[in-house]
Amino acid sequence: MPITKRSYHAYTGTVTGTASRFGVLMRYAFMDASDSRITSLIGLACLVPSLVVMIVIYVMNNDAVRLLIGDTGSPLPINEKFFLVVMHVQSWPALALTAWVGPRLISADMSNGGLPLLLSRPISRVEYVLAKMVVLAGFLSVVTWVPAVLLFAFQSHVSTKPWAGSHLHILGGMLAGSWLWIAVLCLLSLAVASWVRWRIVATATVIAAVFIPSGFAGVFNLSLRTHWGWLLSLPYMMSELWRRWLHAPPSPFMRAQLPTWSMLLAITALAAVMVLVLNARIRAREVVRG
Amino acid sequence: MVLEALTGTLAGRAIGLLGPNGSGKSTLVNTLLGFHRPSRGSARVLGLDIVGRSREIRAAVGYMPENDAFIGTMSGIHFVRYMAELSGVPAGQALERAHEAMFFVGLGEVRYRKISTYSLGMKQLVKLAQALAHGPRLLILDEPTNGLDPIARQRMIQLVRQVRDSGETRILLSSHLLRDVDETCDEVLILKDGRIAAIRNLEEERRANRRFIELETVGAAEAFGAAIRRLGCECASFPAGRWKLVMPESVGIRDLYLIAAEQSVQIRRMHYRRDSLEDIFLEAMGSRLKVQHAHN
Repeated sequence: MPITKRSYHAYTGTVTGTASRFGVLMRYAFMDASDSRITSLIGLACLVPSLVVMIVIYVMNNDAVRLLIGDTGSPLPINEKFFLVVMHVQSWPALALTAWVGPRLISADMSNGGLPLLLSRPISRVEYVLAKMVVLAGFLSVVTWVPAVLLFAFQSHVSTKPWAGSHLHILGGMLAGSWLWIAVLCLLSLAVASWVRWRIVATATVIAAVFIPSGFAGVFNLSLRTHWGWLLSLPYMMSELWRRWLHAPPSPFMRAQLPTWSMLLAITALAAVMVLVLNARIRAREVVRG
Repeated sequence: MVLEALTGTLAGRAIGLLGPNGSGKSTLVNTLLGFHRPSRGSARVLGLDIVGRSREIRAAVGYMPENDAFIGTMSGIHFVRYMAELSGVPAGQALERAHEAMFFVGLGEVRYRKISTYSLGMKQLVKLAQALAHGPRLLILDEPTNGLDPIARQRMIQLVRQVRDSGETRILLSSHLLRDVDETCDEVLILKDGRIAAIRNLEEERRANRRFIELETVGAAEAFGAAIRRLGCECASFPAGRWKLVMPESVGIRDLYLIAAEQSVQIRRMHYRRDSLEDIFLEAMGSRLKVQHAHN
């Protein structure tokens, strides 16, 4: 039938399964997120540090190249501390990518009441949020744990001595640390985006939500002469957890040490708050006027 | 509690959901779609329980909400295709159905434009298109003519009628406008304060109204009245030769003219009662008020 025929007729074709509808949500979310040059630019910028680190690893494992560039000192050790720096260098740009992509995934659905329509389809609220999270986690994986694993593999390959076997804990630490960071960022950005409808404001709010509590943490610690205030600081907690999971030595500037369980508890509490926000905001509610 | 003591079965091809603002129409629609969980009681849509099988209900239903409901960054065709795919139509067919739906509602020429650039009337139409694209068994329309000018409203009503007349989709139309319901529906549920004020079959009412006639006559009133009563008509006379009568099935208009001729009565004016829904609505509102007064 020509598509321009102006009459109504029911659909009698095949119907897809439930799982493929989750795939539809992900596909459209991916298209929304990637349909921006800024997304591509931020994504590429996030990969630059990994390229630089790869070059450093290559140079540090190649005496001839080091001599060629005039580096006659002892080579920089590629160890836990080195990969902790790698994690820092990769993870903070990932925050910028999250702040940009996360709100794009939800704001458009929220701002013009598209959500009731989406949720009036045979999909659940959990599926909706999970689909958006999977897409965002995919973007973040490309700039966090995937390059980290590749760098680990590259170091194992170019190292003149057996290296990988004795440093597997670094790989485990990077994977665990990256996935925790990705999970926190996904929940945070989607919760903020569901609360703040304007995309640009949501982007700024995501960044602010990470850093402003750190300021409060400092004030709290100083005024009450304690170190428990760091439980308000996501950057502190993530840095500490990464360091511990990579078995890297503590920083000489960081005298106070919080127990790992307390930081994991604080992050879990933060995640629970984000889930509550999503539960409150991601609803197919209509404003009932009449 | 918004809805209470709702008991009834609606089986019409096109069901109107009428009620004043705040009567619970949208809440009922949202409950039927599974957006609100009933604190007690049960309901079935297309024979499916709204609590346990809401996913199947949503797959079989097309929903056009009352308020703005679109993704402004998407083009019309992209949006309708997305919605069709989410309802289970495979990607290729969804695109075809989206084109068809956009042409059906009259947005074929603007289907590649972003929805945020559409006028209010166009946004209403694209909401209808997305509700139809997957060929639902039940189409739920919440105030479909909201904010439309008379021409756009007429266009919307015409589209709803076409869908109804296709016989492939049942319609539940929620509105506070009697005219919208009167022009499209064959059954009406009237809500007031979250309770059912009336359930009526409009087709039957219309058929009954065809037997309800108002006359203005000049001439021998008493003899005319007696003659038409002998035919089996119920009638009441009013000053200035006005009559209201209900004719039995066996009596036709021609019989009235014959009696008038026999009695030398002139029939100056004759018309059928037409404002049936308004009567039903006012009666329903009144009866609820009476019940409330009685309780007080």
